[in-house]
Amino acid sequence: MVELPGVLGEPIRFVLNWGRRYSLWVFNFGLACCAIEFIATSMGRHDFIRLGVIPFAHGPRQADLMVVSGTVTDKMAPAIKRLYDQMPEPKYVISFGACSNCGGPYWDSYSVTKGVDQLIPVDVYVPGCPPRPEALLHGILRLQEKIAGEQSGLGGVNRPDPLAGAGVAALTAPPVRAPE
Amino acid sequence: MNANGVPGGGLAKGLAITLRTMTRRSHTQQYPDVSPELPPRSRGVIALLEENCTVCMLCARECPDWCIYIDSHKETAAVPGAARPRQRNVLDRFAIDFSLCMYCGICVEVCPFDALYWTPEFEYAEYDIRDLLHEKDRLGEWMATVPPPPAHDPNGEPAKEEAAARKAAGPVAS
Repeated sequence: MVELPGVLGEPIRFVLNWGRRYSLWVFNFGLACCAIEFIATSMGRHDFIRLGVIPFAHGPRQADLMVVSGTVTDKMAPAIKRLYDQMPEPKYVISFGACSNCGGPYWDSYSVTKGVDQLIPVDVYVPGCPPRPEALLHGILRLQEKIAGEQSGLGGVNRPDPLAGAGVAALTAPPVRAPE
Repeated sequence: MNANGVPGGGLAKGLAITLRTMTRRSHTQQYPDVSPELPPRSRGVIALLEENCTVCMLCARECPDWCIYIDSHKETAAVPGAARPRQRNVLDRFAIDFSLCMYCGICVEVCPFDALYWTPEFEYAEYDIRDLLHEKDRLGEWMATVPPPPAHDPNGEPAKEEAAARKAAGPVAS
């Protein structure tokens, strides 16, 4: 993270943010039925390339935006974390659909992560089960508003990981024991 | 290699399709500028008409996700002349967690007093997941966007009440 020199100031920040918000190479982490809605949004009828969201990233290393669409299982969680870590800064995450927001209909399941925000920081939550393609477009618009307001420097915005430094004890509940 | 024996026939066929598609208008929906034409009874968000709610808890019990939170208290109203004071439930809190909701519509179906309605609004993506928990006032605001019910089928059977009223009015010369 390189802090922007003070002499460059507001116009440069505006140009940097303008470039970032309209060139979001997107990486679809499609895990369930919401991924179909994501694909529908990328196709000709809704066509989010109009908004500058480009679905041709070769992989997470070339992507700016990750859309997590679908049920995040505990088995998939390490892969999501790893691919998120591979993305270069500045990186953004949209949580698309009830399952990736907080587990959705499977929140009581033994194997489902209760929301992808337990693993990675999420910028925009799109509600729906699955959301309409227009709802994803609206989420992208919200994200672009957020990027436009960022105080970002040349290396992107500095966003500390909320889970960094937290040990395993902070993330797990103590086991429930049967009364003797 | 070729479509119908002629060398290059497949290429010509493909180019013909490309040319035909080029002359057609694109069918892309210009969403942020033009609001989409949503189908009738489209399930966007659930609105609450607070006056109709009697805190029967049917919606909260039937919800497969348990994403409806209801708090209430009982109020006693002494009616003069009555043997004992009347009790009625007062709604304190009604919240739907739209980050959890699976949009099945069972709450709308089971509500015996039509306090819940579907509205087609979908533009409520949030930066913070806690804002997706819509409390009573926010659910009430959605009521403004509830579409009118679909019109009756003109060829359909008349309603029971209507048929009974017509029968009571006597035979109509037709």
